[in-house]
Amino acid sequence: MKAMILAAGKGTRVRPITHVLPKPMIPLVRKPVMEFLVEHLKAHGIKQIMVNTSHLAPVIEEYFRDGDRFGVQMAYSFEGDLIGGQIEGKAIGSAGGMKKIQDFSGFFDETFVVLCGDALVDVDFAEVLRFHRERKSIATLVLRDVPPDEVSKYGVVQTDASGRIVRFQEKPTRDQAVSSTINTGIYVFEPEIFQYIPSGVEFDIGGQLLPEMVRNGQSIYGVTLPFAWLDIGSVPDYWEATSLLLRGKVAGFTMPGNELRPGVHCGINVQIAWDRVHIEGPVYIGSSTSVGDGATIIGPTVIGSGCVIQPGAELRECILADYTRISSVAALEQKLIFGSKCIDPSGRYLDIEESQIRWLVDDARNKEELSESELLLFEEVKNLPVS
Amino acid sequence: MKLAQRKVGSNIVLEVLENRLGADKAVAFKDAVGRHLAAGPVSLVLDLSKVEFIDSSGLGAILSILKRMPKGCELILCGTTDPVTSMFKLTRLDRVFTMKKTVDEAVSALSL
Repeated sequence: MKAMILAAGKGTRVRPITHVLPKPMIPLVRKPVMEFLVEHLKAHGIKQIMVNTSHLAPVIEEYFRDGDRFGVQMAYSFEGDLIGGQIEGKAIGSAGGMKKIQDFSGFFDETFVVLCGDALVDVDFAEVLRFHRERKSIATLVLRDVPPDEVSKYGVVQTDASGRIVRFQEKPTRDQAVSSTINTGIYVFEPEIFQYIPSGVEFDIGGQLLPEMVRNGQSIYGVTLPFAWLDIGSVPDYWEATSLLLRGKVAGFTMPGNELRPGVHCGINVQIAWDRVHIEGPVYIGSSTSVGDGATIIGPTVIGSGCVIQPGAELRECILADYTRISSVAALEQKLIFGSKCIDPSGRYLDIEESQIRWLVDDARNKEELSESELLLFEEVKNLPVS
Repeated sequence: MKLAQRKVGSNIVLEVLENRLGADKAVAFKDAVGRHLAAGPVSLVLDLSKVEFIDSSGLGAILSILKRMPKGCELILCGTTDPVTSMFKLTRLDRVFTMKKTVDEAVSALSL
C-alpha cells in the first residue's frame, strides 16, 4: 500500500528550531518525529512512501534516502528551486503536493494514506481502512475530540450518525465552533479525489479540496478512534510532547539507550561518576556526553550526544541539542538549547552570541576565545557567594 | 544613557530609560549610576522595566554597581522583563541580587 507524508511546511510556529531543521526532523527524545511515522506505516504494511519536501529539503532527503534502512521504499517530490546554489522552497500546499506527484507518474493508483510529517501518531490504519471501505468512501478523515478551548488551532468538523461530514470550519473561535471534533490531518483517499485538485497551483486539503468535494456532492467521512497524537506544531506543543514521552505517558514509546539508574537512560560512552552527581529522572543522557562532578540534572530532561555538562552546572527540565556545553556557573530551568538559541517553552528565545552568554551555554566544539566582558563576568560569577 | 531619578525618603529610585543594556551602553550606565553613589551613602532601587535586552556587559555593569554599594546601603532591582529575568536566572545572579516585581515592592523592602 502507498502513503504520502506532508513535509513541505515552513514551520513558522516552531521557530527558531525550524531555521535549521524542517519540522518533520525535529527529534522527540532523539528520534525525528517523521521516523516514528515511517516505522508506524511499515508496521501496517504501508511500504511505498512519497514525501513532498521544500523548506530544508536535503535534511529530510539525506536522512531517509531511499527508505531501505527503514525497511520501506521512499521518494521525494521537491517543491522549489535551486537558485545560485541555494535551495529555495516554494511549497504548493498539501493537495497541490499530491497533485504534482499524480501528474508526474500517476503514483496514487489505489487507496492511499496521507499523514502530516509534524505529528507523532499511532493510529490503527487497519481500523481506519475498514471504516473507509465499509462506507465505500473516497475520502476519510481521522478525527479527534479536543478540549473546547483548543478548537481554534484546528479544522473543526461536524458529522452525522453514519460518520458523514456535514460541516467544515477552518480554525473557528471557541464560540463559533460547531463541535470540538477536529481534523487530525490523517486521511485515507481514493485516486478519484484528484479530479477536484487543479494542476500547477497551490491547493490545500482542509481548506480547499474537502470543501470542493462537498460542493460537488461527494460524501466525505470522518472516523473517531483513540490513538496517541503528539502534535509538534509549535514550541509549546513540542515541549509538551517531549515531556509526555519522557514521563511514560505515551503507550508504545520506549526510551532509547540503557536505564543505568532508575529513570535515567543513557546512550553509550557516557562519562559520569554516579555518586558525585545529583540526577532525578526522567532523564536521557546522550552518547559521548560528559557530566561533571556536582552537576544537578532534574527531569524531564533530554541531553544530546557529545554534550559537556561542566562540574556544578544545574539543569532543570531542559532539552539540549547535540554538542551543547553547559558551564559550571549556569543554571538552566525550562530551556531548550538549539542552534545557538536558548529557547523558553513559550517560544521566546535568547540568541547566545548576541547576549554574549557563550560562557554559560555554547557549542562544545567551539574553541573561539570568549570576549573580554564574557571572561570578566565568568570570573566574577564563579567567585560569588551564591546562596 | 538615559536614567530617570526620583528620591524616596533618603533613597533613590533610578529608572533605566533604555530598551537595550548592551556592550555599547554598559560603561555609560555604570558611570551614570556611580554618580548617584558618589554623593554619599544611599540605597538604590534600579527599575529595569523598560529594558528588553541585556547581555553579559550589561549584567557585568549591574554587578559592578552592587560591588560599589557603600556599607549598610542596599541595591534592589525591580521590574525585570522576561528576557532580562531569564539572563539573571541563567547566570544565577538572581540568587545574588534582591529582585522585586514592582518599584513599590522594592521601596518597601528598603524601608524595612
